[in-house]
This record gives sequence, C-alpha cells and structure tokens, in this order.
Amino acid sequence: MSSKKIGLIFNGVWSQYAFAKATKYRDLYKLLYIHDLDAAQMDSVDALAIPFQSNHRAIAQRRDLLYDFLAQGKRVFVEGDSSAQWLDATWEDRPVNNFWWVKDPHNSPVSATDHSHPIYNGLTPRHAFWHYHGIYTRVPEHAEIIQKNVDGDVVTWQTNHFGGTLLVTTLDPIIEHGVQQITHLNHYCDRLTEWLIGIRPEGKFEILKTDYGVAI
Amino acid sequence: MQPPIHALIISNGIEGLASLYQPNADIHYDWAEVGPHFDPDLSGYDLLIVPNGTDHVAMYRIRDRVRAFLDAGGTLFCFDGWFTDWVPGHRWLMDNTQKSMEVRYKIKDDPYGLVGQFRAEDLNFSHGISGWWSCGYIEPAAQSTVFLEDTWGRALVVIDDSTTNGLMVLTASAPAADLSYATTDDDAADRAMAELYRAFLRLVPRQKITD
Repeated sequence: MSSKKIGLIFNGVWSQYAFAKATKYRDLYKLLYIHDLDAAQMDSVDALAIPFQSNHRAIAQRRDLLYDFLAQGKRVFVEGDSSAQWLDATWEDRPVNNFWWVKDPHNSPVSATDHSHPIYNGLTPRHAFWHYHGIYTRVPEHAEIIQKNVDGDVVTWQTNHFGGTLLVTTLDPIIEHGVQQITHLNHYCDRLTEWLIGIRPEGKFEILKTDYGVAI
Repeated sequence: MQPPIHALIISNGIEGLASLYQPNADIHYDWAEVGPHFDPDLSGYDLLIVPNGTDHVAMYRIRDRVRAFLDAGGTLFCFDGWFTDWVPGHRWLMDNTQKSMEVRYKIKDDPYGLVGQFRAEDLNFSHGISGWWSCGYIEPAAQSTVFLEDTWGRALVVIDDSTTNGLMVLTASAPAADLSYATTDDDAADRAMAELYRAFLRLVPRQKITD
C-alpha cells in the first residue's frame, strides 16, 4: 500500500471509477467525489488529477481549494475540457478524430510534442497522442507549451506560476484507460502517475467484479 | 395522436451532454442537474433518462426514488455503466478480458418489435473500428428480455417490464440519443444509434407519474 495518493476528482462517471479501481492503480489513486469535496479531503492527497467528463461548474465552486493545493507546491493534472470559470485559459471544442490511425496512420493530428517533459520523455509519438478533445485558444502568459496540433493550436501546456505545477491537456488518458479500448495507455498513465507522486505503477490493469454493482 | 412524452434527463455537467437530446412534438425534455443535495422530483414524468457519462454516485443516492418511480409505472432508460447498485434487479460489469476489435452486436430476442426500426449491423463499426458503442456487459434480472448481445453472448441491451411495475431499457454503456457527441461521427453508426433511440421511445407508455 502506497503512502502517497493522487486525488482523482470524481464526477461519478464509470470510466473514472474503472481507472481508479483497477488493480494497477487502486493503491495510488483516491476518488474524491466532487460534490463532497472539502479541504480535509484535499489535505489527504499528495497530487490531484481532474479527468475528462468532470463537472466544471462544480469544480469552479471549489476553485479556492484547487489553488490552495497548488500553492502548497503540489502537482495538478487536468485532462479533456475545462472552464474559464476556474482556469485562466480558454478551451474550445473541436470534432474528435479518433480514427486517424486507421484512415491515415502516418499523419497524426498532433505535430509537435516536447519530449523533454518527464511524462513524454521516452514515449513514442503513438503513445504520446491518440486523440484530443478540443484545443486551447488562450493559455496564460506564463505557460509553456508541451503539445500542439497540426494547425498550431495548443493541446498540452504547463505552468509553475501558482506554486506547484499545473499540467493541462486536452488528451484524455485517465478516461480512455478506464474504458480499456486503447491498448497502449499504460505507457502514458504510468508516466503520469510517476510524475504526480514519484511512484511508477506495477502489475496488470485488472478489473475486479466485486467493484461493480456496489453499495456506496 | 398520442400526447408527448415528458422526460427528465439526469445531467452531471459533462461536455456535450446538452446537445444529445432534441425536443420535438413527440417528447418534451427537462433536465435535473446533479448537485450536493441531489433529490429530483420525478412526479409528472413518463420517462427518466440516464445518459452516457452519468454520475452513478448521485443515482445511488436517489435509488429509492427511482424505484418508486418505476413501481408507479414510469419508464427508465439507462444508457451507461451503472457501477453502483441502483438499477433494480440488474448489474452492469466492466470487463477488459475480450478484445474490442472482436465485438459484434447480435439480436437475441425481439418481443417488442425493434428489429426493422434500425440497422444493428451499422452499430458494429465507427470508421472501421469495432467495439466503440458499448462497454462491459449486463447481468440481467430473471424474466427480462435480452434484445442485443455481443460476440460472446453477453447481454448489451436489456428490456424489463417484469421486475417493477414500470419499464426499464438498459444498455451496457451504449449511448442512445438523437445525436452523438464525441463518441462517433460515422454517418451509418450515428444513424443506427439515433434510430434505435427512437425505437426505444416508441415503447414508452404515456402516463404522468405521481409519487
């Protein structure tokens, strides 16, 4: 049992749950239900992940908790969409191309990745990108860009401006790894986990039947 | 002409959800937004829709209200993976032991006459990729109808008018709506999903439920 935990902001969505309950990650991630989130729960974790399919209106209502967490020097990862109500950036939706690898596998929609970032360091291009959900048309002046698409739009960015490190991407590794239909996401999610709390997950992504049909 | 269906959709604020269901002369939609003290009034509705990507912590917390709605003759559509135990008599299980590239959808039993209202084979592929439409499988209640099953004979679409006094239409996290969001933009797959949704709507009895 790991003594370090990543809080996974939980919107009650099954793919978020499946990821956090998988044998490979269950000791490293702690589900923090968004509507019950308070300072004590935030104090119980060492890093934070905000997955795709989050309730950003509810997150915005707890904005101060997130920035207090960052101010403690901790790391926060945000994937998928976001809201300017709590993040100083502008996310815009775009059609999801999740079939380019079948139709045109040599022309990825992402053209530039900074592989010096610890998560992306060592990832192949295919493991560093599968599809994205929208783009950022505006990021903070203090942000560094990690990934862009072929049109030059921002897909992944990072800033240390708030004390800790805030890493934001429109990729959706946690949700998709929970869905288990993209087979290579262990590479990204393992590096993400290690970047967040310094622990590299081990073992297989196994789903336990006893985690389903549960009373909570 | 029948009166319109009065439907309530559960919303947990995820991106794209608001565009999935389009009101028309046959159906009127209201939305119930999940919050800290979520306890929606289901009275007056014919249909409760739990769309893909729903908050199943919130649904578990209102399970008694949902059961009362069904026992009063209401209809439940759940098009998601309900990992909590709030759907009476049925269990959804996530599973990763089979390859999604081998998933094919097959009609099993059709006492409700859904075949012919959509092309089940068009659900098999989105841009040539299989397994996109559903996740996991359902352990159905006894006496319910398994309408659609997967390659391995596991229930993916279940219709149940026996467990409660109402009707349940359940999918193994397979979206059903007028429009899809990010799941697919393949024309044939999109059309089949929307036609299946409209076929489900034809099963809904029009009656205002009061709990």
